[in-house]
Amino acid sequence: MATLTIGVFPGLVGNMAYDFALKLAAAAVDKGHKVSIWFSGNATGSVKANQKHLKDYSTGEKHLKALLEKGVEMCTCEACTVARGIQKPEGIEGIQWNAMHWYLAKIHGADRVLHIGGE
Amino acid sequence: MKLGVFVSDYTITVDTLDRLKAEKLGIILVANGVYHATIKENGKTSPLLDKTPNLYVLSEDLQTRGIAESDVDKRVKVVNYGDVVDLIFNEYEKTAWL
Repeated sequence: MATLTIGVFPGLVGNMAYDFALKLAAAAVDKGHKVSIWFSGNATGSVKANQKHLKDYSTGEKHLKALLEKGVEMCTCEACTVARGIQKPEGIEGIQWNAMHWYLAKIHGADRVLHIGGE
Repeated sequence: MKLGVFVSDYTITVDTLDRLKAEKLGIILVANGVYHATIKENGKTSPLLDKTPNLYVLSEDLQTRGIAESDVDKRVKVVNYGDVVDLIFNEYEKTAWL
């Protein structure tokens, strides 16, 4: 068992890189690794609760909740999130809110890091 | 350093890769980057495929684009998400995302 930290910066809906990050996280957990995900930039929109899951529409909430249940630790950049008009009570339960130092600490402690830049 | 580079777009040219110095370079084609493994322009394959012998393409992203594995350049190994996890942990200590 090893640790993987993924930094996810691209937007949520329709973004292939965002979709890739979540699928990779799921695959890594299924192989017994410990995964943490940091959301920054436009990816922080994905921590807003009550997303309607449309069939052919890439969406975060359903997949994020599944990853939470699998033990993936997730944190959103508080500054980026409130900058986009999303307040903490509106967030998906179980996703942490913190500043960049959370991500840096995870990077420092991880065996592997994948940083997926934004748009 | 063993570096695994995720190429997620078809428009990415090789000059970025030319600047990366790695003891072992792996190129992992995902999202629209999978077209590097299948498309020929003016009869030539993508110059990315000449950068390293360690070439991989994500099967799920081939399938979503209707690309058959038989259309993939023989130099490129078809992998799934589980294989990508193994590549990250076992083959490449650093990763980059292009």
